[in-house]
Amino acid sequence: MSASFSREVVLDRIRRATPGAAASGAALAEAYGAQPQNYIRCGAMSAGERVELMMQRLREYDAEVVECAAEELARTIATQLAASGRWRFVAPPGLPSEWLAAGFDWRIDEGLTAAEIEGAEGVVTAAFCGVADSGTIVLHHSASEGRRVLTLLPDWHLCILRASQVVETLPEYFSRCAAREQGSGVRDQESGNEGTREQGNEKMGTEGRWTREERTKRLPSLVTWISGPSATADIEMTRIKGVHGPRFLHVILVKD
Amino acid sequence: MSAAGEQLGGRAILDPALAPPFPVAALAVLRDPQLRKNVAHAIDVIQGKRARLVAEKPDWQALRAAASWIKDEALRNLGLYLEEFEARCTAAGGVVHWAADAAEARRIILDLLREEKASEVIKIKTMTSAEIQLNPFLEAAGIGVYETDLAEIILQLGEGEPSHIVVPALHVNRSQVREIFARRMGIRDLPDDPQALTAAARQYLRGKFLRVPTAISGANFLIAETGSVAVVESEGNGRMCLTLPRTLITLAGIEKVLPRFQDLEVMLQVLARSATGERMNPYTSLWSGVTAGDGPERFHVVLLDNGRTGILARERERQTLRCIRCAACMNACPVYRQTGGHAYGSVYPGPIGAILTPQLEQLRHSQSLPYASSLCGACFEVCPVKINIPEVLIDLRAQVTDRQRRRAGRFFDPLYLGLRAANLIFARAWLFHGAQWMGRMGLRLFTRKDGWIHALPGVGGKWTETRDLRGLPQQTFHEWWAARKTGTEGTREQGNKRAEAK
Ligand code: SF4
Repeated sequence: MSASFSREVVLDRIRRATPGAAASGAALAEAYGAQPQNYIRCGAMSAGERVELMMQRLREYDAEVVECAAEELARTIATQLAASGRWRFVAPPGLPSEWLAAGFDWRIDEGLTAAEIEGAEGVVTAAFCGVADSGTIVLHHSASEGRRVLTLLPDWHLCILRASQVVETLPEYFSRCAAREQGSGVRDQESGNEGTREQGNEKMGTEGRWTREERTKRLPSLVTWISGPSATADIEMTRIKGVHGPRFLHVILVKD
Repeated sequence: MSAAGEQLGGRAILDPALAPPFPVAALAVLRDPQLRKNVAHAIDVIQGKRARLVAEKPDWQALRAAASWIKDEALRNLGLYLEEFEARCTAAGGVVHWAADAAEARRIILDLLREEKASEVIKIKTMTSAEIQLNPFLEAAGIGVYETDLAEIILQLGEGEPSHIVVPALHVNRSQVREIFARRMGIRDLPDDPQALTAAARQYLRGKFLRVPTAISGANFLIAETGSVAVVESEGNGRMCLTLPRTLITLAGIEKVLPRFQDLEVMLQVLARSATGERMNPYTSLWSGVTAGDGPERFHVVLLDNGRTGILARERERQTLRCIRCAACMNACPVYRQTGGHAYGSVYPGPIGAILTPQLEQLRHSQSLPYASSLCGACFEVCPVKINIPEVLIDLRAQVTDRQRRRAGRFFDPLYLGLRAANLIFARAWLFHGAQWMGRMGLRLFTRKDGWIHALPGVGGKWTETRDLRGLPQQTFHEWWAARKTGTEGTREQGNKRAEAK
């Protein structure tokens, strides 16, 4: 069977199996209007509660979390690095230079090899978003978040998350994605703490209505959702921290 | 796929074409107390965690409804969504291949590996690759295959078979793992605590991740609108395989496609909770095609049919394809709990396996699986995409029976003959009464003074082997009803009075 032949065979079988299918892409968008979205999309917490929950969830995953004010950030990073007892760090090229604390061996990732990254004892990055409900850190791998491999090989990851980047629910993260250019930095609008949850849900429903073309362009092409350090429970369901990804996840939550 | 297991060497116990019927295969497990203990322990832990985390979600039922709607929509317009996925993935630098069946998928993958001149490949756990028996095929072609998921390493090194779709080695306990690792990795003084065993696996794989330039993965979701693939995992071995190699090949069933990126807001919420009882699994990766400077330079997706379109075509069975492989149904299943996964003779065990495998095999094999259930409905209750598994099981049972009905040998089958006779008798009142009378007369011979039947001859003996049967009463309900007919008019008081007067 030639390659294109199988494509036609499979698609033809599908068409015959789905006589009720829409005739074209345009009809699909319409079908989507009918999706039941009565699950909780918009959070109901205040900004403070949201950050509290985020920290609590991260700690439940055995991540280390500290809070600091924006002007103390550089100093807090330095303290964390020193306390880690590590010395050789890698950082993505877009990391603000004042975050690169003095007194450590920094390698900036401008095309480092995997072996070079593997040789580092830790990595410091920014993040795109934090989801409090599940304690998830989301990376879109922009210049300040680093290539995927950068937050994978080093055993210790320090992630800087701003309070304004923390949303309460996973759907709120998704509507943030749709509502912005991809990977365009750090700040975003506050959401979720005005009006009722129902109003919020409705607002979020309309925010996301891009044409399919527009959405496709705006959506991120690389995403990693991180919920705690690497773990396994494959042996007798005993949760063991740190299999292949970083064994240690540290988070600095910046009040801004 | 028949006889494939033999040709490819090993793995026969999970080849539906070669596996013994469920009740036969289950016996071996029922006689192995250690294995049953291992399975029950693992399931209890996951079930407990799942129940706790589901209870904390006030909108759980709404999430299930949405998840099931999304998958239904994807299936309703499957052709369009797959074409959209193909177009976007291609635009992002990926190459999409279509495989009508398992043999074709295996060949496409082998050809790609040959093009890469690959002698080794690292793999993330994928049930779909087990479905097409990829590993033995590649090994026979001289390619070294390294599984990287901890459970899969345990099975690969121990030459065992997966018995669960999320924690495939749940039937192996720590001392068994220790023995396997010590032997195969050549570590002499390895303690048996999970921490040390996990560290040994990390050590064993680290070099392979950094060295082997080709990887194979499955997919949890394909996103039509962005042409992206999403993989959900815990250990980071997935991220290693997805980012370090030069070439990545992803094998995905055609039913894995979701219309929109945003659909993940529902799917990711229900998947981890159902699968491992976590709010979110440690790592989920999503990528679109190839990104310059980040990850593989070449990316291929193989879209696999292998019987799925046959399921798609059947109205009631189509829901089977909504499955997101979370394994909640097997964790909840009272049958799986007793038998473990191997008895199902397929890489897909438990309730989902009982409906999926026979359909993928077009009922040529695995005909006993639709009966491997008590129809208690626990699977349906926990399923995050609301697959009504009991309904599909019953429908498949009917299909199995229909097939058997067409076989000539049925005329010698006592069960078939008995049911035919019952059919005849129940349809005619006079025959029914006659049969009742004869049965009563006949059974009277075996009824002891205490009113119980302790032993019957012939087929009936199968029943009395394990329990007693109460003797039939002297009067049937019909006779009793006819006799008291006079008492049925008027109020109960009048009737009572009449009875007294008599
Ligand atoms: S049938 Fe439902 S519960 Fe079972 S694995 Fe599939 S999605 Fe999960």
